[in-house]
Amino acid sequence: MWSELRNLREGVDLGTPPRDGAAVSLTVDGKPVTAPAGSSVMVAAALARCPVPKLCATDTLEAFGSCRMCLVEIQGRKGFPAACTTLVEPGMVVTTQTARLQELRKGVLELYLSDFPAGDVPGGWSELHETMQQTGVTTHPYVAGENHLQAAVDASNPYFLFDPAKCIVCSRCVRACEDIQGTFALTIEGRGFQSKVVASQGECFLDSECVSCGACVQACPTHSLVEKSLFEGGEYRAQSPQA
Amino acid sequence: MTIKVCVPRDATALSLGADATARAIAAECQRLRQPVQVVRTSSRGLFWLEPFVEVETPQGRVGYGPVEAEDVPGLFAAGFLQGSAHQLAQGNVDAIPFLARQERLCFARAGLTDPLSLAEYEAHRGLRGLRNALGMSPAAVVEEVVDSGLRGRGGAGFPTGIKWRTVAGALGTPKYVVVNADEGDSGTYSDRMVMEGDPFVLLEGMAIAGYATGASYGYVYLRSEYPHAARVLNQAIATLRAADWYGASIQGSGFAFDAEVRIGAGAYICGEETALLESLEGKRGMIRYKPPLPAIKGLFGQPTVVNNVVSLASVPIILDRGGKYYADFGMGRSRGTLPIQLAGNVKRAGLVEKAFGVTLRELIEDYGGGTRSGRPVRAVQVGGPLGAYFDQSLLDLPLDYEALAAKKGMVGHGGIVVFDDTVDMAEQARYAMEFCAVESCGKCTPCRIGSTRGRELIEKIVRGENVARNHRQLLALCDVMVNASLCALGGMAPWPVLSALQYFPGDFGLPAGKEPAHVV
Amino acid sequence: MKKDAVIPRPAGRRGGPTLAAADAAKLQPILDRWAGVPGSLLPILHDVQAAFGFVPPGAVGPIAAALNRSRAEVHGVISFYHDFRQAPRGRHLLKLCQAESCQACGSRELTANVERALGCRLGETSADGAVTLEPVYCLGNCAVSPAAMLDGELLGRVTATKVHRLLQQARSAR
Repeated sequence: MWSELRNLREGVDLGTPPRDGAAVSLTVDGKPVTAPAGSSVMVAAALARCPVPKLCATDTLEAFGSCRMCLVEIQGRKGFPAACTTLVEPGMVVTTQTARLQELRKGVLELYLSDFPAGDVPGGWSELHETMQQTGVTTHPYVAGENHLQAAVDASNPYFLFDPAKCIVCSRCVRACEDIQGTFALTIEGRGFQSKVVASQGECFLDSECVSCGACVQACPTHSLVEKSLFEGGEYRAQSPQA
Repeated sequence: MTIKVCVPRDATALSLGADATARAIAAECQRLRQPVQVVRTSSRGLFWLEPFVEVETPQGRVGYGPVEAEDVPGLFAAGFLQGSAHQLAQGNVDAIPFLARQERLCFARAGLTDPLSLAEYEAHRGLRGLRNALGMSPAAVVEEVVDSGLRGRGGAGFPTGIKWRTVAGALGTPKYVVVNADEGDSGTYSDRMVMEGDPFVLLEGMAIAGYATGASYGYVYLRSEYPHAARVLNQAIATLRAADWYGASIQGSGFAFDAEVRIGAGAYICGEETALLESLEGKRGMIRYKPPLPAIKGLFGQPTVVNNVVSLASVPIILDRGGKYYADFGMGRSRGTLPIQLAGNVKRAGLVEKAFGVTLRELIEDYGGGTRSGRPVRAVQVGGPLGAYFDQSLLDLPLDYEALAAKKGMVGHGGIVVFDDTVDMAEQARYAMEFCAVESCGKCTPCRIGSTRGRELIEKIVRGENVARNHRQLLALCDVMVNASLCALGGMAPWPVLSALQYFPGDFGLPAGKEPAHVV
Repeated sequence: MKKDAVIPRPAGRRGGPTLAAADAAKLQPILDRWAGVPGSLLPILHDVQAAFGFVPPGAVGPIAAALNRSRAEVHGVISFYHDFRQAPRGRHLLKLCQAESCQACGSRELTANVERALGCRLGETSADGAVTLEPVYCLGNCAVSPAAMLDGELLGRVTATKVHRLLQQARSAR
């Protein structure tokens, strides 16, 4: 069942990894859908063609639950559970779009954008921009707040560079280095607002335990970690899928 | 005839010079050739009187305090060994009003014994609970705790018996008992007092929890800011092992239980149970999403009971006197007693263990005697840094989980911090966001970025910049933090902020009568 | 690919900072003491800091190797917890509580006073290297606020006078 569905929807990131379980029937935005037991509500929503906005989730990695963009409403449950860490259950009734959810997603995305290079917002194309388009949020109300926009770029590796100013600390790179590659070369240094993705003990990528596999670059949703080949003539230009 | 003189070894007493006092007493006794036995006991929790010295007389224990080293010769001259009058005399200790009106179940032994004497512990009903438990089925032990109505005293207030039932029924071995001794809330010290003053009651509670749930090993995750507690706990564990109350077959029962202390490293967030488990596993103290619950998948992926110190320290008396005995104290769904800690700008700061239902006003004015400064009480924060600030109008609320929650406050771990009228509530609100920012694990965006933006917004409002707009934005931000955060740090940091805005708008330069925006 | 798979750990293009032989010898008994104990990284780091006064960056590699973890992981843990420092600090460590109960009893004024006297802010060390001043968020001494801790010794009902006297005593005792 899983492979069939993936063939149907080539190139779609369902959010959390595939599971092999008995089919579970539930409803998303009024549409009946089935997903294998052990799947997340995020997967079910994607299968129902009502994809939930996401930033820290990707189907090559286990759910993390940190970005708080994928909040949904589930009948009979208090609050706003995260779709990526909530497992499907028979008869579950999920709503992915309400005014309240939009309010919360907007609030979260505004926080992200308040520490993100403004110039990049209309320019480059990444999952972050996809999410911004999906939610209709492109600006933020926070004026002159503390930020990481002056962080130095690490261009030591011949194939990719790391621009911490664009990092949203989703930890997808750290998780990819751990779970996909098994190298564990990346970590988050510090905590809270000071959280910073670093290689090994804060060395540049080239001097660290990194083996240059590129899993982190593939995982990064904001082009903070990005292939140098995307640069032409020294100017950053990424490809929008619609271009 | 040797007279017994008790000087506490509790950390607060030590911080006020209790060691010097004890040395001075010993020296004076030697000089006067008086046969006196100086015993270092736990503290009664009457901290405004520490160092509090008690003399055992035929009329009972007579107290003197606060006794500094230089007061000692004068006390001897006045005949304090006979319990005579003196400027520092507090009379018969049991008759001190602050103490006499309490209902001490968890703190039954406070001030009475040498914390590390197992013999004294047993003489004061110690180990009866564990003995009884070992003679019951584990399921029966769980039901006794369910019947007691005991709810987690760390702050979440989750029924302890139900948690134990879940762990008991969970599949997998080994199972663990983890004690949350990361008492990081300002205004709280009851966990510290238990660990330093009555370590055996905690260790006994842990063993009972292990027996009931099928766990054979316990970890006490203790914050690094409590070095005295670490020393006392380690010695107590060694004592229990030597006396065959911890080990491969406790008192030959076949039940194995042992435990160790693990020290934290300066992270308030490790008081949240999933971050605590991550820390115990040797990782960054990051929040794990729930479900799965630690009861099913906890330490090292195994079924784990995570309980607060006072919760576990309340278990032995439940197994000694029965669940119903404990449940008969209290009101509504808040059964049993709560060790309340009076702190901050209060005249008589100390431990008040009472059945649920006592009001905040009674605690602050009758027990506490009002402010230490003598100025009027202006604000009170109940339940720690994530608790709401109340003004005078709310002080008639009873200390009860549901009653406080109805006013967007919380009982939390029972700490009450009193502020007089010199407090700037805008500054307190700013601090609430700053503290959240300092202690944020950084995993989720509403807390990681929101706490910094929250602090900035409050600073702007106070500076008079775009006040109306920034106030609206602050309320919207609080809404996002409350509803979208991954854990209670981001989720509850807005409560002190919103309560300060609601009850003390003038401190922010805001007009009165503004209700906070909807926060579900 | 999970951690347990048998994949040789890359030493890294370079293996990171190293320890002098004498320091490595000081580190080894600590690693031996905790070998095989589950979740031992924090206890190891506490012991290392107690032995060295801080966690030397050169110790990260050997600690990681002993635990079959990467340098990155160990570095991430060290940098997360405020207790662990990666450079030596002043001869004396003075922690002033900044939390609510102590605020209610004048900790802000006390802190400002001590900062002026030492000529450094919270989180910094005095110019003569004698005193490192740090914030701490609750010492559990809230019944006798304001509270502080000097070289591991807990203090209560702290006043500026008391702090200055104790610092002077500590400095002259060296």
